[in-house]
Amino acid sequence: MSTSFDFLPDVKFREATKLLPWVMAIMVYLSALSAAGSLLLHSGFDDWASSLQGKVTVQITGEDSAVIKEQANEIQQILRKVPGILSVRIIPDNEITALLEPWLGAGNITDDLPIPVMIDLETEPDVYINLDALEIKLKQITDTVYLDDHAQWLVHFYNLTYTVEYTALGILVMILLASISIVIFGTKSSMSEHKSTIEIMHLMGAQDQMIAHAYQRRFMNYGLRGGAYGLVLSFITLFGLSKLVQNLASGLVEMPTFPYLTISLLFVFPILFAVLSMLTARITVMRELGRML
Amino acid sequence: MVEFRNVSMGYDKGHDVLSDISFKLETGTMHFLTGPSGAGKTSLLKLMYLAHRPNRGEIMMFGQDVAKARREDLPKLRRRIGIVFQDFRLLDHMSAVENVALPLRIAGGKGPQINEHVEELLSWVGLDERMLANPSALSGGEKQRVAIARAVIRRPDILLADEPTGNVDPEMSERLMYLFVELNKLGTTIVIATHDNKLVEKIGAPRLHLEKGQLLHIQGSKKKFSDYEGPQ
Repeated sequence: MSTSFDFLPDVKFREATKLLPWVMAIMVYLSALSAAGSLLLHSGFDDWASSLQGKVTVQITGEDSAVIKEQANEIQQILRKVPGILSVRIIPDNEITALLEPWLGAGNITDDLPIPVMIDLETEPDVYINLDALEIKLKQITDTVYLDDHAQWLVHFYNLTYTVEYTALGILVMILLASISIVIFGTKSSMSEHKSTIEIMHLMGAQDQMIAHAYQRRFMNYGLRGGAYGLVLSFITLFGLSKLVQNLASGLVEMPTFPYLTISLLFVFPILFAVLSMLTARITVMRELGRML
Repeated sequence: MVEFRNVSMGYDKGHDVLSDISFKLETGTMHFLTGPSGAGKTSLLKLMYLAHRPNRGEIMMFGQDVAKARREDLPKLRRRIGIVFQDFRLLDHMSAVENVALPLRIAGGKGPQINEHVEELLSWVGLDERMLANPSALSGGEKQRVAIARAVIRRPDILLADEPTGNVDPEMSERLMYLFVELNKLGTTIVIATHDNKLVEKIGAPRLHLEKGQLLHIQGSKKKFSDYEGPQ
């Protein structure tokens, strides 16, 4: 028969385990920030990558803006005939000026500034266009034409994203291992504190499971309580940071929207830490009791 | 009920505190365990309440060799044993009622039925006014009575008491002995370690006498202790 009840005394002020909910709060806070950083970066990268999907930019540079505009018109005619290209649009001067203003300052974009002509191409999905061959063809009009499908930039960013994600995962694993160690230490400390109580329980016929149950319930509570504090703190931090970044980056870079749905995944952390604490406490108690008669 | 066959026991790597002990206690008997301080009385009781395993020999309890019993079988055996510790070993964070109810709760008991039973027993040992007090607020005698109530609450098959009347006045001492005798009449095997020769004489139960870790002799009873009628 397996019965259970909480025979352990309330945690005294001087006991080491009194601090465990706070330690758990810090661990969940760090884990949540680490995971959120990874999720936000991943989500932002996906947004940027999908917004660039099927987009090619043609850039024509030169000293004389009248000449490059004429070349741009000629190139536009050629591009419209290429199969797989859905639309061709020369970006108007005012749009280019609007793009440059946050970087160069309003009023600093003068006519003598050698601003290239940009052409936006939209390609059909699932249709392969040989951009190298196309660029060679366009270079017959001018040597200073360049095609950019953003692949090179995306590959670098992709590598950076995955490096950051794996680093975050590594940090998360280290936090989990540290938490397990802390729970083991806390359980052993508590068992030492209540050694005489455990001995009496044993001598009166309490099974190991009954004693372990009291500990696992207590440590699960620590994990849940601390986890809830840590999660609330991490949400406050993330919200504050996202507002700060949006304000700082406004006009410079288009920031992805805050992925509330993705970030709600962080709710798993208090539960994860509670279950982890419970299982670690149980295993530790059972192992320690196994050394007693 | 209990049989020791050539049992020796020592702590860690020290010398044996009990040497070559052999005796047999039949079910429903009552014995005193006597001997000077350091003779090994508490160690002998520890073997009987399964807090230690012997270094050598066999200990048969409830028909099985507990020296070789599997660890997971011990809780079931321990629930058949009531123990009164010399230092009471009450749980300080629990009230007298909760301490006495502990063996019942360990055995799976729940609800008001437990409390009713426990309160009745605490009243009987004169603690009806102190039921909700924690051990730290109880006198030595009161603690001892709570410890005794805890040991007998489940009507154990065997009751082991280490100096159970050491801290109580003579009147309460007799009252508690009456409780033990009554329990014994109901079939509980009882072993009481004591220094109180007067008490041993008065009850007249046979005794196991230890000296320097050896069982010297088992004296028979001078009178039929089951006739003991309690304090006059």
